Amino acid sequence: MSPYRSVFKDETKLDINYVPYTLPHRDRELRLLMEFFSFLLRVPEKMTQRVMITGDVGTGKTALSQRFGADITREANKREINLRYIHVNCREYRGSLFLSLHHVVSIFHPNFPRRGYSAEELLGILMQILDEQKAHVVLTLDEFESLVEREGSEAVYKLTRLQEIRLNKPQRISFICILRSLKAIEQLDASARSTLQSNIIHLDRYSKQQLTDILNNRVSLAFKPLTVSEDTVSLTAELAFSENGNARFGIELLWRAGKYADAEDLDTVTPECVRKAASSIYAVIRKSDVASLRLHEKLFLLGIARFFKQHETAYVSLAEAEQAYAVVCEEFDVQPHSHTQLWKYLRTLSTLGVVKTEVSATGSRGRSTFVSLPRIPAYELEKELINILQKEKS
Amino acid sequence: MNIEDFFSSRLRMKILKILSEVGELNISGIARRLGVNYGTTNKHLKVLENEGVVKHKRFGRIRIYRLNTHSPKTKAIQDLLEVWER
Repeated sequence: MSPYRSVFKDETKLDINYVPYTLPHRDRELRLLMEFFSFLLRVPEKMTQRVMITGDVGTGKTALSQRFGADITREANKREINLRYIHVNCREYRGSLFLSLHHVVSIFHPNFPRRGYSAEELLGILMQILDEQKAHVVLTLDEFESLVEREGSEAVYKLTRLQEIRLNKPQRISFICILRSLKAIEQLDASARSTLQSNIIHLDRYSKQQLTDILNNRVSLAFKPLTVSEDTVSLTAELAFSENGNARFGIELLWRAGKYADAEDLDTVTPECVRKAASSIYAVIRKSDVASLRLHEKLFLLGIARFFKQHETAYVSLAEAEQAYAVVCEEFDVQPHSHTQLWKYLRTLSTLGVVKTEVSATGSRGRSTFVSLPRIPAYELEKELINILQKEKS
Repeated sequence: MNIEDFFSSRLRMKILKILSEVGELNISGIARRLGVNYGTTNKHLKVLENEGVVKHKRFGRIRIYRLNTHSPKTKAIQDLLEVWER
């Protein structure tokens, strides 16, 4: 057997959490962001800022914000300004203001208790900590839609008007809100909306050429020289472009293609590897989202996936989904949860974008809920869930 | 407090071990780790605080305790724990 060899030089450079030093085709936006927050390097106590970054999936919103965060923190440190950049993905905290804020507080006090106080009190606690440490924070609320959806105007208002109730005290927190489109904040009341909409950076979808540049950049960081051909990059860029210019999809595809090449002991990543990778990937739902679900959320989702595998219909009623879930529970030897609990799970799955729910108001006996799997093949989802559940079991 | 009285309590020693391991914790968190109730934990923390070995910071209704590393007694206890638990 030949010794293990790999096309990769450093595959972590293709990881979803890796933030490259240069962001091809986003330098103008990065400069603009720096401009908005330049006061932090001169008079950090005198003002705060609120910026919104909008753009479709994979247009570099998170990478842009994190690159900015690392750059401004480095500059602030040079000037001995105590500045922290904190990035919170609100969706990971199920859109809860309390949990998102708790994450921020736990950066300063890692074992801070999770119970016994409200989100408002937690905000006060955060300000106390920042005052004591004379610290300034740029707080990025990524996937801001989920916070707006769950908490509504009051929470946004509390956050953004925070400084106004601290008259004559040093300014501490600036915000970057990341969301796909401004539609999400239309549901907020006028006063909450007006506090947000002053500075907006919109990121357009990448063109095929721009995606090629981004992928070439990552290839040079992650792969050994001459292992990825121009054709391979071009095909990957083409596929990413067809996925609405989603660079993240392209980068993940490249990583998978590299894995197929390694598995087949090839010297180079061929276009065929990309094609194989493409057939096994679904970009819209992240595996981490599925993995982070609770046990019964996964079991419920598995029931739904199996229903769709067995029936050629686009929708499943909640009652049918419950029956399918009960069968799965029996298989996994656990007691099914109640109807009310399942309702909550369905809401979580819908917030994550894994399923879509529709309420039908027809019929004399009230409303029925119908569930669909808009983007994921049921077969893929079932396979993925079984994998995760078996790993958890062992 | 005499040294023999101070060291006579298993719970007090456990609190010191917990705080040296995790850095800082609220009373309920310490009580949970000790497996005793809030009141008992609070009582022992007060003894430790009176001796200057731990200190607390208040955040609204929450008190977070940590070792008072400025105290020579704390340093001596940390050394003891390190040697003993090594």
